Amino acid sequence: MKKINFIFWSISFLLCTSCMVDEQCRQNRFVAMKIDFFHVVANKTKDTIKTTTLSLDSVSARGLKFDNQSSKFIYIDSVLSYKFPSTNVDLPLNKFSTISKYEVKFNTTIDTLTILHTNSDYYLSLECGCLKVHSIDTVLTTNHFIDSVKITTHTVNNTNAENIRLYK
Amino acid sequence: MQKTFAYISSLILCTLTLTAVAQKNIKTPEKDNTPLFNGLTIQLDVASVASSFLSNGESYSYEAGAQVDLKHKYYPVFELGYAGANKTSNNDINFKTNGLFGRLGVDINLINPKKDQKPTTNLFLAGIRLGMSNFPYNVSNVIITDNYWGGSETFNYPAKISTKVWYEIVAGVRVEVTKNIYMGWTIRSKNMLSQDIAGEVAPWYVPGFGTNTGNNWGFNYTIGYKLQIPMKVKTRTNKEIKKKK
Repeated sequence: MKKINFIFWSISFLLCTSCMVDEQCRQNRFVAMKIDFFHVVANKTKDTIKTTTLSLDSVSARGLKFDNQSSKFIYIDSVLSYKFPSTNVDLPLNKFSTISKYEVKFNTTIDTLTILHTNSDYYLSLECGCLKVHSIDTVLTTNHFIDSVKITTHTVNNTNAENIRLYK
Repeated sequence: MQKTFAYISSLILCTLTLTAVAQKNIKTPEKDNTPLFNGLTIQLDVASVASSFLSNGESYSYEAGAQVDLKHKYYPVFELGYAGANKTSNNDINFKTNGLFGRLGVDINLINPKKDQKPTTNLFLAGIRLGMSNFPYNVSNVIITDNYWGGSETFNYPAKISTKVWYEIVAGVRVEVTKNIYMGWTIRSKNMLSQDIAGEVAPWYVPGFGTNTGNNWGFNYTIGYKLQIPMKVKTRTNKEIKKKK
């Protein structure tokens, strides 16, 4: 009898819990542009180019926002620092503007990255809400540390895919 | 040549004999005297009414159905209902909908009555339904905040319309509690056929299906009344034939 009671209550509990609606958001809501670092080595004798992943000791980035009052770019308070050694960085793009400008410090050298992009809404669910996803149009850089950049995936979303290749 | 002729003729003779024996052994199938139409049951779902009261207005559903008894074996069914939801999520996003839904399907009685026995009024049914709902919905107070660059915006998505189609696998029992009054329950596995487009504002709740999660379980407890509308073939009497002549 005890055994039957146990089975009955176990099944009832399983049925009740399986019918409950999960109200937790279990999806990744972080949207950022992923930049991977590469080093290009040219072999002049063989006339070939070899690309290898570049690992940096220290990388940090700070956003520059256009201030309408002063008509100047001003620093965002928060500095984004990345763990040692860094082979890539994730830069969040501006959700309500089509220009995102970053000052990126590669070890001790500073370069400015300007990303021109479009923004659109991406609805996930009632529990998770809505995201802003971006489509990169153009990337402009200064060339103190950076040699060149290449857009590999234009869409910036929550999939953590590589968007830009940065060559030194 | 003679040998070949003897061989072929003996083979034909053998085949003919076997066919004749086989034809003798074939039993003629017994004529099924069960009438095709055996009544129409109008039923109301009590479980959906009870669950609507328990959900504090978050979702509600009311449904009724009509089921035809064909040969005490096949039960084509049409179900019609009205359902809705008013849900606010943990992050204060509000979803509202209400609309009609319909289901069309057939149940099969798995209890086969024994030979020369009155057909049972207690049924063990298994069946399938195809459900559809075309409904309006709106999603409001969707807030997007930019934690790094700053700023926040609130979005509303009013007057959106969706059409959803799904199928259900149904199993249950139905018993005659008093004359022509039936009670029964069914358990349903609901599976969505319509796909949502990724990134678009999809409905949280679909009338008749429940929460829009791809697949759902459903439970119905029905009370029904069977309308006996016998379909008898009218046979003319000799007097009627003479009168006509």
